[in-house]
Amino acid sequence: MKTDECRHWKEELGAYALGHLSREDRTRVEAHLEGCAACRAEADSLIGVARQLPHADPAQFGPAPEPPPELGKRIAATIGSERRAQRRRRQWRFGLGFGGAAAAAAAAAVLAIFVLGGGEGGEPEQHVAFNTLPKGVKIGATLKPQAFGTEIHMYVKGIRSGTLCRVYMRGPDGRDVSAGTFRYRWGGDSDATLAAALDLSRAEALVVHAGRRTFVAPLDRGATTDRNSPQEEEST
Amino acid sequence: MPPGALTDERDVREAYSAHAPELYGFAVRSLGDSGLAEEAVQETFLRAWRAGERFDPQIGSLRTWLFAILRNVVIDLGRARAARPGVAEKGIEPSVEPFDEALLSWQIEEAMRRIGEQHRRVLVETYYRGRPYAEVAEELGVPEGTVKSRVYYGLRALRVVLEEMGYED
Repeated sequence: MKTDECRHWKEELGAYALGHLSREDRTRVEAHLEGCAACRAEADSLIGVARQLPHADPAQFGPAPEPPPELGKRIAATIGSERRAQRRRRQWRFGLGFGGAAAAAAAAAVLAIFVLGGGEGGEPEQHVAFNTLPKGVKIGATLKPQAFGTEIHMYVKGIRSGTLCRVYMRGPDGRDVSAGTFRYRWGGDSDATLAAALDLSRAEALVVHAGRRTFVAPLDRGATTDRNSPQEEEST
Repeated sequence: MPPGALTDERDVREAYSAHAPELYGFAVRSLGDSGLAEEAVQETFLRAWRAGERFDPQIGSLRTWLFAILRNVVIDLGRARAARPGVAEKGIEPSVEPFDEALLSWQIEEAMRRIGEQHRRVLVETYYRGRPYAEVAEELGVPEGTVKSRVYYGLRALRVVLEEMGYED
């Protein structure tokens, strides 16, 4: 039977593809491949796989690290709050008839109301206004305690479009906990919803890196009003 | 909006449970830091959700799309760090080249993890350690022909897994 014969040859093809056969065995396998299109196709395909093996490091074949369980929750929470903010924005736009060229102004106006208006369920939010900023630049934030840490609504205006903004919350030990990144888009919505895995009650400061500039707003722990005196840090 | 677009919070949850382990595993491998990896994965899913309406399963798999987003996130992380050496805790190469190379390595390693232990074992011994088949056969207490056939089925299994993972040559 042809298939049984091929089965014997096929089992040689792994070692053949890896270049492990003796010269004699290789010659015999190649003689078979000459006359058997099916085995030839199989050999070519295995050689393709064998070529990829040098890219792997056998020290890495152990179990891969698992994402920490709170990561999924944090992402879901951030998306949930972003979605709520979106809905609110849509309602506002619809209600007030904003559109087209007024979109940027609309986002700014809505954000101002949103920031000043406080939270939904009366949880203590903290409003942070970065006061000491270059002319024409506005940065503000609302911080809301959540089970996963702190939800952060950022509002930025007046910086170069496309600027990458990275937001951190500074913990009691002086370490910065990342809250994520967003890009400032002129003409689009200039706010972003972020999340940090640090309790608001433990946060010392809100840090924003906008392009090459760094802005730090110390937080008044437990305060719910904007009594802060933010300042610009020298960045190198 | 194409059917299958990632518009619902539920879609994102499903995408997360299906692909986060892989994205995270790869991010740890390529960034060498679990904190950075978490940050990168979080940012990847947020961007995926924000751009969810643009995802079209007709064009490519969700997995491929998520890895493409992760790639941009890693590049942005690298740039941001390069621009602010004071804040950088660990340097990351902002270049794309190492990302693609790391992704290739990681895909083969992930495929190796997914094939059976017997298959992986003979590939490690004969290929990576370059040991003779007879020696490996003796150590495993099986005939040499069995080692050969495990090498063959091991490579086949690897091919199947790579195909499942959407690997393209």
